[in-house]
Amino acid sequence: MSDTAVGRSRAAARDRLDAAGATPAGPDVRRALQLGLAAIWLLDGVLQYQSVMFTKAFGQMLAATSPSNPGIVSSPINWNATLIEHHMVLLNAIFATVQLLLGLGIAYRPTVRLALAASIVWALGVWWFGEGLGGVLSGAADPVNGAPGAVIIYALLAVLLWPSDRPSGASAPFVAARAVGAQVARALWLVLWGSLAYFGLTPANRAPQALHDMIAGMASGEPGWLAALDKHSAALVAHQGLAASIVLAVALAIVAVGVYLPAPVARATLVLAIVLAAVIWVVGEAFGTILTGGGTDPNSGPLLALLALTYWPPPRAGRSGS
Amino acid sequence: MNIPAWILDIFAAVMLLVAAVSAGQLVVARAWTRAGARDADIALSHLLMGIAMAGTLVASLSTLPNAAWEVIFAVMTAWFFWYLCRETRGQGVGALVSGHHAPHLLHSAAMLYMFAALAGPAAGGGSGMVGLATGSSGGMQTLHAPTLALVFTLLLIAYSVRDLDRKACADGYFHVVGRHFTPAGPALATAAAGVTSQGGPAGLASGGDSAVATMVHPEAAEVSSGDLLAGPVNASPPERLLLSPAVVKGCRVAMGVTMAFMLLIMV
Repeated sequence: MSDTAVGRSRAAARDRLDAAGATPAGPDVRRALQLGLAAIWLLDGVLQYQSVMFTKAFGQMLAATSPSNPGIVSSPINWNATLIEHHMVLLNAIFATVQLLLGLGIAYRPTVRLALAASIVWALGVWWFGEGLGGVLSGAADPVNGAPGAVIIYALLAVLLWPSDRPSGASAPFVAARAVGAQVARALWLVLWGSLAYFGLTPANRAPQALHDMIAGMASGEPGWLAALDKHSAALVAHQGLAASIVLAVALAIVAVGVYLPAPVARATLVLAIVLAAVIWVVGEAFGTILTGGGTDPNSGPLLALLALTYWPPPRAGRSGS
Repeated sequence: MNIPAWILDIFAAVMLLVAAVSAGQLVVARAWTRAGARDADIALSHLLMGIAMAGTLVASLSTLPNAAWEVIFAVMTAWFFWYLCRETRGQGVGALVSGHHAPHLLHSAAMLYMFAALAGPAAGGGSGMVGLATGSSGGMQTLHAPTLALVFTLLLIAYSVRDLDRKACADGYFHVVGRHFTPAGPALATAAAGVTSQGGPAGLASGGDSAVATMVHPEAAEVSSGDLLAGPVNASPPERLLLSPAVVKGCRVAMGVTMAFMLLIMV
């Protein structure tokens, strides 16, 4: 190979690295977070191949997200559920394969942009047709059980981890700011976590036994240790629905405004966000019910934690709270 | 089992392909590697895993009873664990995660778990395996200790994603010091044009290191490391392809994803 050819290859390699948002030297935090997103998509795709997804139960699961939604939202959901029930094998195989390819595509540098773009479109479609907009409009959204719809967080992460930098990207205070800018990124964080705080206080979620019943209901079909954990956790909040909701909402609100605070305080609130995400994932979501053989995705816990990491101020960022 | 048989057939076919590639690597590498077949254990493990997984997915492809596979994967797990311990002596604790043998230890351990934790129709039969697609008994194979299945699944997915992201040159097997790799694109284009007629294992064996040193610009492998790389030069295109890091990487990712798939559908 001539030196010219080698030079061309080197330039091409550099272009591919740039396309992935990577810097050739040193670890790239954004790339690591992209890989985290890829892993979750991959898990999502594999879960979609489970036995139960090839039965009518899958279509019924989708149709169950329709009630209480406005007609304009619920009609397409019902149409989609009916379509899937009629062609469940073919359509579910396609769904699973698409999600698998999204994960592989994000992990493979040359296709990261294409896969991230496709994941945004796919996630928005699933959020509507598969999750009924996460129950946001129906009053069923519960921050402890996946609100505002796990799949919309995939889309949000794809946007925030998009492999390009704004002019000020190099000096961005955290990874999420590199593609969309710090103000937009903080606003998105505020809306997401603020909405979670709001949903935690809706009448359905602050009822005396609401949280207890939700957590206790997760124990069914789980391994013994997880079922026991759920039952004990449920017992802790029995008849304490209002108090538990207020505590949760306050914690979520603190997280929501945390990214506007100075870096050391912001880090503390991000740790709180990760802890909340872990508690939600284990206690409230039972690992997305994966261990029952019926989970369609890992639910929102890991995505919220991954999202928190995209806002982590790097050492010596030294940003002000303004 | 409601998973359509054709989906299981596709996964089984991929695993058989991985097994065939691994067998090819063993054969080809034996001709090239003068200083012993380093990494032959890895190719052998892929060969066995491919056969075992294909047999688990499709009943008609089953070969050995579960107990035999348990013994095989227990030995394999111990083997890779021993190698990894050796790596940690040289590279520190980090080798447990990023060591050359770490993913293979994980794959072997996951296979061992899969066969040891099988419950349902096939468990305890001893005479052979019932493929997942078999519906005759009306049952399906499930796994004891499903939490462990989830842990293995998460690790397998994490390694698969890492493998996909890594530079291809980091994944090559049968590396011999001083032997350079060449980008697949130019190499295969040249081969297609009939220019590589002087190569082949015999040529390399007689050419020795001096021949290797003139084969390819050393920087080429680094430059195109994120892309498909071919195996050693002066070899026929099929041989290069079999030993190319990209093929090795592809096999490993396919195996990791299929293993994760199998563990989850048996939870």
